[in-house]
Amino acid sequence: MNQLALNEKGRTILAMGNDAIVRGGLEAGLGYFSTYPGTPASEIGEGYLALRKEFPHIHAEFSVNEHVAAHGAQGASWAGVRSMVAMKHVGMNVAAEVLHFAGYTGVRSGLVVVIGSDPGATSSTSEQDDRWYSLHTHLPILEPSTIQEAKDFTALAFELSERYNLPVILNAPSKLCHNIGSLRLGALPDVLPAGGRFERNPNRYINLFGGSVANHRRAMEAVENLRKDVPTLGLNRLLPGSGKIGFISSSVNYPYLLEALFLLGITDAPVLKIGLSFPLNAREIESFAEGLERVYVVEELEGFIEFQAKRLLYDSGLRTPVIGKAVFPAYGELDVDIITGRIADELGVKLPGRMTRANELADRLAGDLPPRQGAFCTGCPHRATLYSIVKATGRDAVFAGDIGCYTLSCLPPFRAFDWVTCMNCGVGIAQGLLQKIEGEDLIAYVGDSTFFHSGIPGLINAVQQNADLVLIILDNKWVAMTGHQPSPTTDTTLDGTRMRPVDIKGLLKSIGVSYVRTIKPFNIKASMAAIKDAIRARGGVRVLIAEEECALQYGRRIAREPGEYEVYYQIDAERCQKCNECYIELGCPAIRREDTADGWRYYIEEASCLRCGACHDLCLNSAILRTEIRRPVGAVKS
Amino acid sequence: MIAYDILICGIGGQGAISLGTVLKLAAIHERLEVVGAERRGGAQREGIVTSNVRYRKLEPGETPDERLTAVSGLIPSGGAHMMISMEPLEALRHGRWLNESSVVIANDFPLTPVSVRMGEREYPTLESLRERLGQITPHVHVFPIDELSRRHFKSLRQVNTIALGMASALGPLPVSDESILAVIREQFPDFETNREAFALGKHTALA
Repeated sequence: MNQLALNEKGRTILAMGNDAIVRGGLEAGLGYFSTYPGTPASEIGEGYLALRKEFPHIHAEFSVNEHVAAHGAQGASWAGVRSMVAMKHVGMNVAAEVLHFAGYTGVRSGLVVVIGSDPGATSSTSEQDDRWYSLHTHLPILEPSTIQEAKDFTALAFELSERYNLPVILNAPSKLCHNIGSLRLGALPDVLPAGGRFERNPNRYINLFGGSVANHRRAMEAVENLRKDVPTLGLNRLLPGSGKIGFISSSVNYPYLLEALFLLGITDAPVLKIGLSFPLNAREIESFAEGLERVYVVEELEGFIEFQAKRLLYDSGLRTPVIGKAVFPAYGELDVDIITGRIADELGVKLPGRMTRANELADRLAGDLPPRQGAFCTGCPHRATLYSIVKATGRDAVFAGDIGCYTLSCLPPFRAFDWVTCMNCGVGIAQGLLQKIEGEDLIAYVGDSTFFHSGIPGLINAVQQNADLVLIILDNKWVAMTGHQPSPTTDTTLDGTRMRPVDIKGLLKSIGVSYVRTIKPFNIKASMAAIKDAIRARGGVRVLIAEEECALQYGRRIAREPGEYEVYYQIDAERCQKCNECYIELGCPAIRREDTADGWRYYIEEASCLRCGACHDLCLNSAILRTEIRRPVGAVKS
Repeated sequence: MIAYDILICGIGGQGAISLGTVLKLAAIHERLEVVGAERRGGAQREGIVTSNVRYRKLEPGETPDERLTAVSGLIPSGGAHMMISMEPLEALRHGRWLNESSVVIANDFPLTPVSVRMGEREYPTLESLRERLGQITPHVHVFPIDELSRRHFKSLRQVNTIALGMASALGPLPVSDESILAVIREQFPDFETNREAFALGKHTALA
């Protein structure tokens, strides 16, 4: 039984922040969910898809991109069904156009936009602070601090959305999305939400001329209505104290702050916990700041609450200093250590000895350890493709990077990757660059899911402008980097269901790409030849589709045990010239080095090897031996 | 307020996350409050993975006070009561979270980072890692956990259960063996083998 489906009010389960958001939707009677997968919010979509059996009335989908996902949720809300759309912070850029109108149109049933933010950019190419969007989208923002609040605020967000006729944003950073702990369940609705019906509402839905001006005004008025009610909603909370230095905080920074104050022995500081960070209520901020010597705002990323609080206090004439980003960094992740350190500096308090000693010792003892960088998984087809690209070009080309597992080709041993910014920055930037550079080969990368997300318009442009480039579509059939959600090219799911994959070749032909070849990545020699051919074929867009399923998903589908392999690869120590092609240049983690009685050798760790065969194909000394065990017909596998 | 914080670290694919999940589910089993964030980036890709497990329990008669009970997903520096590291280098890399009374349980089997494979950096010797950890806390226990699992169970699948047995022996953990085993029974196949692995871990740690 999926614990998120339990209808046991008061029961405590173990849940991830993302699970809590899923449960919040269930408790609010959600009927529609859409998302484009992105860390840290991916598990929300997986959560709803896993609940299809228990909640068959919920439509849940991985959409082609965030723009489409947001439109879908808006449509479902107009059908009179509570809807949720989830995305990572940069997905908001893609959905921004939709969501700039969603405040104008308002909602029919509650519409909640979940944004997983990534301070520290541990799984992203930027750490932008999406909260600023609300200054022009007019969408209220809830910032839960704990796993429990992640659920409770999600459920409440639907009510607020309907009461104020605005979509509501729930902003959860990765350290909440991926926090796992106790969650007390609430009740599930007794009656399943009925199917919806479209009702015409031309004043809100047709945004033209004066009508859009009226809707702009209505959206701003809705924010003001909510702003007035803030003190009655119980979302912001005062922890009273007699001290003269106050703190305002939100999100995961609130428990960080309380832990920091505890470690510093500060027990009397008043703390205002903000649950709704947009809009803020002037009276609430004023009554907190009044009589205090100064107020510190502790928030992650940029000074969004600080900015609003300063503005509100300025208008009210109160001159209590509000200090935020002058003290707490506007970039990177915050944690108890950083907050403790900055407060100690500001207030002239001594840092706890335990923390000082730990940091001094760690700096001295662990300062010089070899770093760990990401690497392709064992058996990953991208590793083989990148090896072939590096060997075919000698790195003498411009490499247009993009977003996906193959972004790891910027790291050693490949280092064949010249930029990465947003989705589809590869072909997009390349086709402009090529108008102004000459005589250089250009290889652009894109993964299957990234290509369908927003790559098609850029490629059409490249074709029409006759950009001289080789595009390699690394089609591994899954959105692998975010945890293996289905992509438009997924042909078989883990449970064996056959899908209807998009025909990439047909699509490419129809938009005018005449040079399309498929390569099998583990076939290194043939792949290298195909890459060289494509480069030599100069003029216009040439596409190579490197087609091979993600090794992890393939392994999960086939679920093979080590003893069941029929093929074995071994390194013959006498033939091996230690040329390092397999160990360093390919960098397969299953190839290892060990000391022997008379020196050292390379060997293949059998339990790790996934039998992709790339090393066997590339070895110039034929030192990697392939052995096939042939069993008699009808024999039972050992 | 009873507080006990465990930092689990390792490399993607070693099971650090599921080890943390067992310890957290054991808390739910005993109605203890538990919380803790995970660093999942790079899972399966030679990346560093950590799991924070933070147990909290009010003492009998204690009234909850948010200033004392607030607990975030991350253990502060010097705050871990225990560290379980599935890889020796990672134990030292996460030394910042230890204090002079922390208990360290570390697997001795090194996983070579790409920088070492490329010949750009050197992997410290096990002796040096052990000595440096020893400067932070005297309670450092390095065990051949991979080797124990291979030798006794002909597979690496029992590594995490062996480590749990060690943690139980060297704790004291705020969750009981019964709860841990109950969770293992629910979550993993082949309970008998896992129970043996847990007992082996306990026995090895106490020997």
